[in-house]
Amino acid sequence: MLALSVIQLVYVLALAPLIAGIISTIEERIESKRGPSIFQPYYDLLKLFRKENVIPAKSSPIFRIGPYVTFSLYMLLTLVLPIITAFPLQFGPVVDFIGGGLTFGAAATFKKLMALDSRSNYAHLGTSRSASIGALSEPITVLIFIMLGVISKTNNPYIINNVLQTSMTWYLSLVHWFVAAAFFMVLLVETGKLPIESHSTAELGAIDQSMEIEYSGSDLAFFKWGGYAKQFLLMSVFLNVYTVPFWVPMKMNFDSVFIYMGIQLLKLVGLAIVFAFFEESVSKFRLLKNFDYIAVAFSMAFLSFLVFSISG
Amino acid sequence: MNDFFMLIGFSEILLVIFMQWEVYVAKIIKTFSISSYAVSVFLLYLSFVQHSYLVLILAILTAVIRGFFIPNFILKRLARDPWRERESKPIMGTASSIIISLVIAIFAYVLYEATMLNFIGVLSGAIPIALVFQGAFLVISRRNAFIQLVGYMVMENAAFLFTGYLFPDLPFSVEAGTVLDLIGVVMISGIIMRMRENSPKKSDDIDELRG
Amino acid sequence: MDLVYILPMAASLIGALLCLVRIEKFEEIVSIIVSVCTSIFAVLILFSPNVSNYFLFLDGISKIMILTISIVYVMTVIFSTTFFKYIDEPLFQKRFYYLLLNLFAFSMFFSVSVNNFGLVWVGIEATTVTSALLVATENDESSIEATWRYIIIVSSGLVISFIANILIYSATGTLDISKLLSMNSFSALLPLGSMMALVGYGTKAGIFPMHTWLPDVHGKAPAPVSAIFSGVLLPVALYAMIRVIQFTPIEYVKTFALILGFLTVIIAASLMAVQTNYKRLFAYSTMENMGMALIGISLGGYALLGVIILILSHAFAKSSTFFLSGNLLSRYKTLKIDEVKGVAGRMPITAYTLLFSSMAITGMPPFGTFFGEIMIIFVLLSAVHIGWVLLLMAFLALAFISMNFKVGKMLFSDSEGDNMERKRVGTIIPVIDTILSLAIVFFIPLISKVIK
Repeated sequence: MLALSVIQLVYVLALAPLIAGIISTIEERIESKRGPSIFQPYYDLLKLFRKENVIPAKSSPIFRIGPYVTFSLYMLLTLVLPIITAFPLQFGPVVDFIGGGLTFGAAATFKKLMALDSRSNYAHLGTSRSASIGALSEPITVLIFIMLGVISKTNNPYIINNVLQTSMTWYLSLVHWFVAAAFFMVLLVETGKLPIESHSTAELGAIDQSMEIEYSGSDLAFFKWGGYAKQFLLMSVFLNVYTVPFWVPMKMNFDSVFIYMGIQLLKLVGLAIVFAFFEESVSKFRLLKNFDYIAVAFSMAFLSFLVFSISG
Repeated sequence: MNDFFMLIGFSEILLVIFMQWEVYVAKIIKTFSISSYAVSVFLLYLSFVQHSYLVLILAILTAVIRGFFIPNFILKRLARDPWRERESKPIMGTASSIIISLVIAIFAYVLYEATMLNFIGVLSGAIPIALVFQGAFLVISRRNAFIQLVGYMVMENAAFLFTGYLFPDLPFSVEAGTVLDLIGVVMISGIIMRMRENSPKKSDDIDELRG
Repeated sequence: MDLVYILPMAASLIGALLCLVRIEKFEEIVSIIVSVCTSIFAVLILFSPNVSNYFLFLDGISKIMILTISIVYVMTVIFSTTFFKYIDEPLFQKRFYYLLLNLFAFSMFFSVSVNNFGLVWVGIEATTVTSALLVATENDESSIEATWRYIIIVSSGLVISFIANILIYSATGTLDISKLLSMNSFSALLPLGSMMALVGYGTKAGIFPMHTWLPDVHGKAPAPVSAIFSGVLLPVALYAMIRVIQFTPIEYVKTFALILGFLTVIIAASLMAVQTNYKRLFAYSTMENMGMALIGISLGGYALLGVIILILSHAFAKSSTFFLSGNLLSRYKTLKIDEVKGVAGRMPITAYTLLFSSMAITGMPPFGTFFGEIMIIFVLLSAVHIGWVLLLMAFLALAFISMNFKVGKMLFSDSEGDNMERKRVGTIIPVIDTILSLAIVFFIPLISKVIK
């Protein structure tokens, strides 16, 4: 069990930059450019680790420890979410789904504190935007968790996966698909994908991009690596809990887990392709329009409630 | 059967919410066209289940008139650049109108459960009722005449869905009459809206319509 | 099948088609001939037995509705021939105006004679389609805006009554009026359906809470169109409400209708007091009369006779006031009450006809409306507490005072200027209408015999 936990940790941390690289490479290919290698994020991280850290004169220790705290929070999440197994690993019982959501929230809050502490106006701009969007997208996440609880009568992501893997009725039910659609919309918000956030640091539209603006060197490397890990985790949750819960091994068996590690990578690449096409086909919303988007995501989550009560 | 109806019904509700989201008229009209096709797909399915020619005719009528003819007719009535026509100042912000539309759907469900459920006996009958309310809200929350017309047609579609699902044996003459009237309303509205764009603007004129 | 019952429909339809012929003045002559024919047929129908078959259902109420429609139709067509020239930039050529007018009459005849409640809905919706462009005849911004409100509000309201029809169908298993009127068993969905039907058709009849289109349309439509709207279109919607109440033997549905009628009277009377536009003033007066009629409908029995008398004599009197408002508009070029001065001196015939017809629409004896309203109030006395009746009468008095005070101000204020009375037809038609609304009194025994 412990060994599998370690394997899962290494698996996530090692492959997280790869998925980010794949997404950006595919996007460039769609635009008919050659694009960077899929390993570019690794090169970026390596380069950043070799550079020196520059710290704003007026910042407090929070600025310094921030990247390490968020990075370790994501590592904790790696240990408790169903990524390569559908049975709880060593640390599985530590938190349930709501606890996982809270841990994500804690990391996000810490990120905002770091950004505030950097005493840069651009970082403050990004923080306030991120906070106002987050304040509205959090309730959606809670609603989604409640609906998953309704489906599986529990808050345990592993059990939700098992229910959806085994019960075709639930898998095909409208309730489930409304929840999945709402989560997809939230996923785009949380991973900073296009209709909400573009990759540029232009101050008119930047949200998460401007929060890391004062970081450099290994601090920035951990910041970025944590971001890749977060994206990897959320994509895995989306796949394993919401949309494609199949083939995840439900019983302790080293061979099947190892085979599944390959399958999981394929699933993620598939989702990365979907993300890339999505990013290429939509344009960025104006900041005020983001709230419409969130309102629609909220409607999706709430409609699943309505579906549940109408289907009796 | 009920599952299929739920699928169609909830996609209709989603499409109405999408219409609340959208401000570009052409997109709203195309969304309406899709929702009409969804209704006709449901009627088509119904006609196979019940082996009824009349329902089949209704399905074809719906697809041709509500799905194809009316949206195209309205699109032709738009100004020279149809993609540019939009609701610049909605009465209510789009974000809040999406939420209100959602609340209305839930309210309609509660209302349905309290009043009609005992007599009709099918829970999913709440969907068309919700759609009627949402269509009415689309009419109220927008100023653009085209969008108001679409809102009215959403109400009509919902009434049609209600009949099709719960009372498919309603006399055919009534339903055919409904379709004819809808064509009439749309044609007349098209003329009125064209005139509305061309008429000389005198702001004090509208004051006569107060009180 | 007796052909006589479909003759009014057939005649107006043929008239509509003949309007397409491109001969100078032909459409006017055809329309006059056709409308006079429908009146003759309507009188014939009045003395024919009731009929109820697969397609048609005509009892006393339908017959009187047909008669009312056809007479107002004749008056409107004749008045239109002299009035059309005052419209500066009409939306369409004259023959399309008459085409639509005839189709409009056809759809009203259709609505009151078919035997299927679903088809009644189709007919009433068709009246919206055929009449919408008539409202926009003047082709300026505000009349087009009013038309748009008319289309969207009335159509949306009628969707409610469409769903109501479905519910009624599911509760009773039929939509044939003849079967609905004689049914014994129904499910408990019927009261809900009936209440929704009252709200839905109430939209078209100008009943609170969906009356908002009414003053706009009556204020901006050309005078003859306002006249036919106020005189018969709203009663046609009331006809559907009469049927709903007739086949719903449930007390609280009737109470619901009573409350709606009461609120309509109160709101219309209050708004009449603050009007500064004389056409809108008349429009709110129409609402007030429709509210009274709805109260009578909800009470049923003897009050229903009152409703029929009220509808008949109101139709004539109100079309007369709207014709006269057209005369005023054509001479004074304004709709403001304050700017119309000294009508009695400058347009004497118009002035005195307007005086009498405005008395008639507010229920002054000896006009027919007075007897109609008195019958309704008499029955109301036995149904509700006397305090409510007094409240209602207070608002009727308010309506009476504001109407006659404002009309009096227009007529008898000082103003210098030449006589500019309209000639011949423009003044004769309103006079005939006003006399008819008085003459109704002598036909009350006949009407009660027909209804029985």
